[in-house]
Amino acid sequence: MPEESFLTDDLLRQFMSVGEVDILVGIPSHNHAETIGHTVEEIEESFQHEFPRERVVIINVDGGSQDGTSEIFLKASSHKNSNSRGLTSLRTEHRVVTRYDTASPGMAFKTLVAAADLLRAKACAVVSPGTSNLSAEWIGKLLRPAYLQNFDFVAPLYTRQRYDGLLVRILLYPMTRAIFGRRIRELHSTELGFSGRLASMCLSQDVWHERTVQELPETWMAITAIASDFPCCQSYLGPKLRSPASRTDIVTAVRQVLGTLFWCMESYQPVWVQRTGSESVPTFGPDHEISEERPNVNRERIFELFRSGVAELSPILKTILAPDTNEAIQRVATMDERNACFDNALWTRTLYDFAASYHHTTLNRDHLIQSFVPLYRGKVHSYLLQHESSSAGEIEADSENLCLEFERQKPYLVQRWKVQSEVKP
Amino acid sequence: MNDTILQGLAQAYGNLVHMVADFLPRLVVMVTIILVGLLVAFILKNILRSILHLTKLDRISEEAGASHVLRKAAMPSMTEFLSRSLFWMTFLGFILIGISVLGIPELQEQIARLFELLPQIFVAIVILFVGVLVANFLSRAALLTAVNAGYRSPSVWGGLVRFMIWILAISMALEQVGLARQTVVTAFSIVFGAIMLAVAIAFGLGGRDLARQTLERYLGDKRPESEHEKEQEPSPL
Repeated sequence: MPEESFLTDDLLRQFMSVGEVDILVGIPSHNHAETIGHTVEEIEESFQHEFPRERVVIINVDGGSQDGTSEIFLKASSHKNSNSRGLTSLRTEHRVVTRYDTASPGMAFKTLVAAADLLRAKACAVVSPGTSNLSAEWIGKLLRPAYLQNFDFVAPLYTRQRYDGLLVRILLYPMTRAIFGRRIRELHSTELGFSGRLASMCLSQDVWHERTVQELPETWMAITAIASDFPCCQSYLGPKLRSPASRTDIVTAVRQVLGTLFWCMESYQPVWVQRTGSESVPTFGPDHEISEERPNVNRERIFELFRSGVAELSPILKTILAPDTNEAIQRVATMDERNACFDNALWTRTLYDFAASYHHTTLNRDHLIQSFVPLYRGKVHSYLLQHESSSAGEIEADSENLCLEFERQKPYLVQRWKVQSEVKP
Repeated sequence: MNDTILQGLAQAYGNLVHMVADFLPRLVVMVTIILVGLLVAFILKNILRSILHLTKLDRISEEAGASHVLRKAAMPSMTEFLSRSLFWMTFLGFILIGISVLGIPELQEQIARLFELLPQIFVAIVILFVGVLVANFLSRAALLTAVNAGYRSPSVWGGLVRFMIWILAISMALEQVGLARQTVVTAFSIVFGAIMLAVAIAFGLGGRDLARQTLERYLGDKRPESEHEKEQEPSPL
């Protein structure tokens, strides 16, 4: 066990008393005293319903909570001692807790994969106590494909509001699908399932010190699984409700998602450059769901932020984008708000230019990614304008068109990626 | 009479011959030193250029924005700039050593003073160079933060950061050279104080509404719920 040295003696002692397990569920937490009790109850109910004979453990990795999250985790008891058929678990359900001084997603995730490796877990799930409608059914849906059907990575699928998770819908999904060739919609999620085999492989990678892996370890694991040809699947969970505290602001989200994606593109370059087209993966439940809810958003304000951002960052964008892409964006930014259209082809070219510039380091990488934020707002504005009165089917059709555009323009990315950028005068 | 004149001329001629005989070897030594200096400077320039190419300094300089500044000032790339600087500093040093060999007391004194100043000038140049790098990097960071947060006039924030760091770097460089130390410190204090006062007055008088809004934001948002909701952007994740 090469990575056990970062685990504390106390944690190792707890693992030794647990022994080997079949199933592991991890809960990274930070000040989740209000919700972690519910999370533990649902996990235990899932064990009673679906895995009464398996050896199971729940691990809470707490990052400096001040509200007694870990204590509540240890004390929380299932309000139902037996399942609907009157059955209880036949095995002891272990609970392990470890605490770090600060909340670090990377450290929490590394602890969980190290635990999976040490305890020889066959299937693992990670869930967030920030998801307020997490249910026992979800746990089963994440664990079953890995435990019973030999899938190594189980991505969740949610019912989304029409404007919810746009960074995933218009950027992460189409781009990873075109680049890595697998159609997995939710690569950024706080809920996921994976096998012990994938956990051991990830643990052996010397990447845990990287900032991108520290910030979004789940996305890195998902892309690693796809790039390494591990069997992957999707499992539909239902609508996802997040506590307001877990909402991520746009700048942080773009920095994390784009930073991780570009970094993974560099790491797995030999894999993706060869791949063409995309393949669907087995999906349990509906492939996509969009609810008809229409949140109140200020479209004019978003366009204004795009317009002013493009004007202010014009010299920076000039060093990142190809001249024709830059010209097209400048043109969109000067249009009337009601007519401005950041079309799919331009959006694809913009992202591919950013990826190539990131690879060639034409600018400090963090600054490069931050300068993408106004352009993302431009695309969001166009999306809102286009789908003001679209049905769920029309939105899905447009998403598919965007994905195909990313796949069609992939040779452009490969060409720009391979050509060493010249210092522009 | 004629004898005296001839004797005087002979003495003058003797002195001239003596002086030339005394000066010529020193001139030859000086020229030799300068030529050796030229060769050494040329070799050092090429060595430094190769090392900097290996360390990919141009790429780092491009990232930090220093190359952009050099291009604006019609100067060569960072590697070329530093290599040429080393060439000229080495060559100049050899020229000064060569001149000192001539043995002219006034020149020697000036050259000695110049030699004392050289390290300080070099440190001052380094300070200015680092200052430009830091100013570019931080001003770009400030500009990006302001743009993405939707502040008004984001370029003002970037410009202000750049200006402050330049002022700081220039005053540090001048102080390093020892030029009007007191004046520089006083000037910096006055400029800095004036900027802070201007900001305070602008914020207090001109920006009363902005101050009120900022305080409200910190002490609790008093806007109606509908307005707050309307400002939201769609959740990215």
